Amino acid sequence: MRIGLDVGGTHTDAVLVGTEGLVSIAKVETDRDNLLASVLSAFQQILNDADPKKVEAVTLSTTLTTNVLLEGKAEEVGVIVSSGPGIDPLLHRAGSHFFAVDGSIDHRGEERRPLNKRQLEDAVAEFRGQGIRAYAVVTKFSTRNPSHELLIESAIGREADIITAGHRVSGGLNFPRRINTAYFNSAVWRTFNDFAYAVAEGICGMGLSMPINILKADGGTMTFASSRNLPVQSILSGPAASIMGVAALCRIGGDAIILDIGGTSTDIAIFAGGSPLIEPEGISLYGRPTLVRSLRTKSIAVGGDSVLRAGNGTVTIGPDRLGPCMASGGSRPALIDAFNMVCEIAFGDVEASRRGISELAMESGRSAAEIAAIAVEKSVEAIATAVRHMLDELNERPVYTIHELLHTDKIVPSGLIIIGGPAQAFSRRLSQAFGLEAIVPKVHSVANAVGAALTRTTMDIELFADTERGVLLVPRLSVNRTIDRNYSGADARRDAEQYLLASVGAAESADAQVIEESSFNMMQGPRLAGRNIRVRSQIKPGLIPAYVNGVKASC
Amino acid sequence: MLKAKDRLGIIFFPAYDWAISPTHPEREERLLYTQDQLREEGIFDIDGITEHKPDIALPEDVTRVHFLIPNVVAVTTESHLISAGGAIRAARLVMEGTTEKAFALVRPPGHHAMKVVHGNRGFCNINIEAIMIEHIREHYGQKRIAVVDTDCHHGDGTQDIYWHDPNTLFISMHQDGRTLYPGTGFIEESGGPNARNRTINIPLPPETCDEGFISVIDNVVLPILADFKPDLIVNSAGQDNHYSDPITNMKFTARGYALLNRKLNPNIAVLEGGYSIQGALPYVNCGIALAMAGLDFDNLREPDYDEARLRQAGSVTERIKQVNDKVLERYFKPLRSGQFEPGSFVTREKNIFYDTDMIREHQRESVMACEKCAGLLVIETTSTINDLSVCIEIPIGACDHCRDEGLSILDEARRRGHYSHIKFINRRDKIYSS
Repeated sequence: MRIGLDVGGTHTDAVLVGTEGLVSIAKVETDRDNLLASVLSAFQQILNDADPKKVEAVTLSTTLTTNVLLEGKAEEVGVIVSSGPGIDPLLHRAGSHFFAVDGSIDHRGEERRPLNKRQLEDAVAEFRGQGIRAYAVVTKFSTRNPSHELLIESAIGREADIITAGHRVSGGLNFPRRINTAYFNSAVWRTFNDFAYAVAEGICGMGLSMPINILKADGGTMTFASSRNLPVQSILSGPAASIMGVAALCRIGGDAIILDIGGTSTDIAIFAGGSPLIEPEGISLYGRPTLVRSLRTKSIAVGGDSVLRAGNGTVTIGPDRLGPCMASGGSRPALIDAFNMVCEIAFGDVEASRRGISELAMESGRSAAEIAAIAVEKSVEAIATAVRHMLDELNERPVYTIHELLHTDKIVPSGLIIIGGPAQAFSRRLSQAFGLEAIVPKVHSVANAVGAALTRTTMDIELFADTERGVLLVPRLSVNRTIDRNYSGADARRDAEQYLLASVGAAESADAQVIEESSFNMMQGPRLAGRNIRVRSQIKPGLIPAYVNGVKASC
Repeated sequence: MLKAKDRLGIIFFPAYDWAISPTHPEREERLLYTQDQLREEGIFDIDGITEHKPDIALPEDVTRVHFLIPNVVAVTTESHLISAGGAIRAARLVMEGTTEKAFALVRPPGHHAMKVVHGNRGFCNINIEAIMIEHIREHYGQKRIAVVDTDCHHGDGTQDIYWHDPNTLFISMHQDGRTLYPGTGFIEESGGPNARNRTINIPLPPETCDEGFISVIDNVVLPILADFKPDLIVNSAGQDNHYSDPITNMKFTARGYALLNRKLNPNIAVLEGGYSIQGALPYVNCGIALAMAGLDFDNLREPDYDEARLRQAGSVTERIKQVNDKVLERYFKPLRSGQFEPGSFVTREKNIFYDTDMIREHQRESVMACEKCAGLLVIETTSTINDLSVCIEIPIGACDHCRDEGLSILDEARRRGHYSHIKFINRRDKIYSS
């Protein structure tokens, strides 16, 4: 059996899932000032009728780190970067304690200028003087040569409680994103760790000893141990929980559109070949792009409670919410009231909806029926346009070889799944808009927790090898070793797979996959100087097969 | 967060699975380090900079411009159609208003490919800028277009294609042809009888530095552009003037390239040559992208940049000034000599060497001197791999006389049957056939 626990803004849901299906459900109100109490109370309830020894694992999805940033409770972070030539590093400033130290490493990973020790010492002394205990250190091309980051790390020394080094955050390139990611990680580190420890202790106190996993934004999990160093990966895991929940309940086969329609927004996700699509580089937090892998979702400001406004013979939808729709006792007409008016549904107090739309119509000089029809039409069109735009973006994504340009299959959705409160209201119109049958699964309100319970560990690494320099790096795993001149692309592929599997525990071997691999000859004039080899491999988000049949809903 | 002043679309297509040969400069990893640099700098995260996939040029995009002998398939591969398609995508972004500017960072290059193509010369098979420009004219209407070629080698292919076109201004600044391939591009080469002074060549001495390049832009290129008043400016952005380039002798820097681009302010830039793939391209391309987006590039410098070594010698400065003065004088005070009788053919003979494919070609090129249009063009060509063939072009906006004459020459050629290939481009009626 597995436990999934999803701490949402209003409710904390927990589920206990066995291979035969859901065993029990718990729902408690979230106490935003004491998440720990909410978590432990949900646990207590769920374990009332289960044998703790039969629980294999617990996965926790929490908004804690998101809230820390949202509520401005992030810890002060001392950020030390070194960039060498390029865009002025001060333009990438994160937080209010930011130092750029001279030094330069180039794209091959060669040191071109040593790190300026004096400037480094000054920066460290100043941050210490300010009482800073959380640090982020990032140098340009550190994933090709982490030596300058390691130097800065040792200069800061043991007085720091957390030092996030850029190369351990992700093996990819992107200096500004690496700065943002390392900064956010250190900023949420303390709060997350305090919480995680308390949860672990609490669970232990109930006599449980199974592994605890943390849900990540990419729809997979990480172990409790790795979450302690990289809590930033738990950020914005909410949409991931709900999408993996749908995946668990509906077993999506090919390409599909998933719409989660809420009160004021609609989240769009796309599945390709049965798997959810991942953001190519990482999620953006508060307008700052990061290297935190996440599911590729898009949100638009159209939801059931989006307020309607009329004028000039037309009507606007949202983007705000002014209380519930009138059908649910609100005082201002919202989108759901328009759906009530055009008889797509008969939800709640239909008369109130009609009354609200009629009042709106008087301001606009059109009939109530017209106003409602326009609102419905516009909202469906807004969602459909956003989906089409997202599909176009996906199908227009750049590729870098002639083979891929000529032979990459386009994503052509054959399924449409709609969840969320107002899903039923939109289903017929959206079905028409896409020319696809719309499925509104009977997902109960704990789908998110089910998704958390059944998703497996994900991981991605980048291996970089340069046979001229004789180095091999897997930055995320701190692998840095020498190789000989004959090291080949095939060697790299094999090594990448082994490093990847070792990092998550070999049990999940079936699903390691190479996403990108290349091996280029490097010429020195007419002479072959060596090979430049890159391999990216991942364990992609997916469900634990043994449990999927049990929870499958009527989709 | 950084925000571009001008929205810039970058078509990045490195063709990682294509090379002329495994050790040729035009090989798989040419843009690998450029991509690393652009990614590490976070260029594609800058608000207003977007990355786009290339189009694939259609055969008609190519046959609208070139006479390909024996045919499209024999002298082009998918890589060429994608590279030209990358330039076309750049043009579409700008013409459709998706972005204000576009940079096609694509390979293989094209500026040595001439009007008639028997094979590859100077690493080029088809001329990607010309294919892009004629695609623009076909789909978005006739435009006055200026091409400024800043590759270190004379853009002899582009010059050949636009030699007779009064609506295209071609400016090439390059290392003096007496010291570098292809050995042409002298000041005296200034356009055919119907397009006088629409070709401008600015041959620069070896060791020209940032100062010299910028003086050419300020004192020659910008005044001539201001006089021509183009609707669009295209930069053939070769990067082999860089001080680290292995096959040239200039001393231009990444910041110099960025500054040149800022001053020139092209709507579209297209990568051409440049084979210092580690020491120059990553920085030059980054500089061009920043400049096109209207962003600051003051901190951009090569790791081995050495100001003292990159200072221009007095003798070089003096030589450049002489070249500038001569070019300006020819353009702004043209001599009234060599007028031709309208309606008569003006003929020149050309010998062309295809260095990559080791082909020799002989051409007899005749253009109708015409006051109403660009003039009917008739080229007879033989090469070491193709027997005598004839190529006939009726230009865009051709006058009735030039069109009728072209059609009758075509009839005659078909009737006599002594050409191994007959190639025909009729831009007036949009017929591009063999």
